[in-house]
Amino acid sequence: MSNLPLHVEAPAAIPEKTREIDRSGEPVFELRSISHSYGRNKVIFDVSLSVWAGEVVALVGDNGAGKSTLLKIFAGYQQPTAGTLRFMGKDMRFSTPAQARAIGIEAVYQDLAMVEQLSLWRNFFLGKEIVHKLGPLNILGRREMRHAAQKAVAELGLTRVRTGDEAVWTLSGGERQSVAITRAMHFGAKLLLLDEPTAALSVRETRNVLQSIARARDHGLGILYIDHNMSHVLPVADRIVLLELGRVVRIIDRGEVSVEELQDLIARRTQRALA
Amino acid sequence: MTSDTSPNPASVAPPLDGRGRRSLAESLLNVRELAPGLGLVVVVLFFTLQTGNFWSPQTMTAITTVASTIAIVAVGVTMLMISGEFDLSVGQNFAFTPIVWAILFVSNGMNEWLALAIALVIAGCVGVVNGLVTTLFGIPSFITTLGMFFVLQGMNNLLISGHQLIMFDPSVTMSLLGGRIGSTPFYAPIVWMFLIAIVFWFVLAHLRYGNWTLATGGRAGPAKAMGVPTARIKRTNFIISAFFAGLAGCMQFSYIRGVTQGQGQNYELLAITAAVLGGTSLFGGTGTIWGSVIGAFLLATIQIGLVLIGVPGSFYVTFIGVMLVIVVIANVRLGRFGSSQA
Repeated sequence: MSNLPLHVEAPAAIPEKTREIDRSGEPVFELRSISHSYGRNKVIFDVSLSVWAGEVVALVGDNGAGKSTLLKIFAGYQQPTAGTLRFMGKDMRFSTPAQARAIGIEAVYQDLAMVEQLSLWRNFFLGKEIVHKLGPLNILGRREMRHAAQKAVAELGLTRVRTGDEAVWTLSGGERQSVAITRAMHFGAKLLLLDEPTAALSVRETRNVLQSIARARDHGLGILYIDHNMSHVLPVADRIVLLELGRVVRIIDRGEVSVEELQDLIARRTQRALA
Repeated sequence: MTSDTSPNPASVAPPLDGRGRRSLAESLLNVRELAPGLGLVVVVLFFTLQTGNFWSPQTMTAITTVASTIAIVAVGVTMLMISGEFDLSVGQNFAFTPIVWAILFVSNGMNEWLALAIALVIAGCVGVVNGLVTTLFGIPSFITTLGMFFVLQGMNNLLISGHQLIMFDPSVTMSLLGGRIGSTPFYAPIVWMFLIAIVFWFVLAHLRYGNWTLATGGRAGPAKAMGVPTARIKRTNFIISAFFAGLAGCMQFSYIRGVTQGQGQNYELLAITAAVLGGTSLFGGTGTIWGSVIGAFLLATIQIGLVLIGVPGSFYVTFIGVMLVIVVIANVRLGRFGSSQA
């Protein structure tokens, strides 16, 4: 972390990478010459982008740059109008987010992470419940799920939660996202997609979420995330992909730039584009 | 947590005992049925002290039969409300289904079992229509089922047009559904009520279906994102709600041995009231079966109790209306937006 500027908001607590990214094989997920249009309105132009196991890729750029559209293509919400998607070295086409999720692409949205009224363990295992079959009945393995959720969450060090029975509305937005990231890891996700995970979070909460991202990275997941705050991007991102009006204009390696340089770069390019 | 973070004291919960469990007192406070249960105890004590004959067999018969039919309707309505939808057609279905049944086997001599099966299938179909219209067109179930309310009311008018269908000799099915239990003051519906409540308590607490019902009503967005088939869950709960309203109506008919088109009047609102008194959220996501059962007993006890102390019979709804509003205000004030659904 020594090559980073000192005025980064979320300091030293983000753990350093424990291993180097192995780029000898295939990336977890790859976009090859992707273009996308909404009707006649073309929003993505020939974008190629890859995310490797254990790598954090940040998508930055101004509003309308195409970040959200790209994330939706990764998550299976949008099918690109041209180009190919490759997942773990194989060509892929998703028609629903459920298909993307089934093969290990997990999207975590801040406002869609949890069902507040449900207890922690019910949330943790929602849609992937441990069940015991009894004829046509799917009986919940309550004890197993409670135990597993409690264990996974204990590692996060959440102070507000004491048991897996606690309802999730007692958790803050950042804690919910950390739980959601932990859940994705628990269920063996390969690629994690995060849409502005630190928006509207306090400094401490932001750091907790970034720590969760780093933990998922060290667990070998590929991570793609959108963030507007450059000081949240730099501490964890291995590569920063700068998008502008639907095109990749620059890919910056970790440590190449400072927060100010990055912010300047985006602002300057936007100004030029608008002129 | 790292050492430099001093957590906000208000956000830190008190320590647990050695085994990571809550204390007994805390567990009790977390039981959602506690408040309505205490309410029921208070109401029963009040009428016991105010009337000399509250515990008489006649009173017990009246309370348990009224409570059990409302409770059976309320159990289905509770499942639906937890998944985030309403059913305003249950009251009319409560009359429609036994009318169909009675016309088939009393008036037309069809085999009583077959007639009952057909009537209950039709009751379920009402739920199928409610669910499909609501989920396919994305309109509020309040409107869908209000429409169904009028459709069924019209059908009931058409089918018996102000008359009463009476069955003098109870048949086998009628004895099973509404007959007296030996020489006790109790009738069959109370037994059915407990069986149905146990089944749905189990469904809600221990089956994946129950988990998905809670999640669907809690927040459909994340539930859907996690792969829960929210539309299917809602449609199934519409069927459950309609089916049990019809079944409860058949029990009422079997007990009274007659049915008019006025049977079940207000039941849609009484069932929702029972559920809300029992702690079910109007917005979905939280609620318990036993809470609704207790709510139904509260309604029935007040209805019969007021008659016993000499208040005009139909006045009780005024009392219930006031109580409902007070309970909801108390819930909002006490912030019981949603307790944990362990």
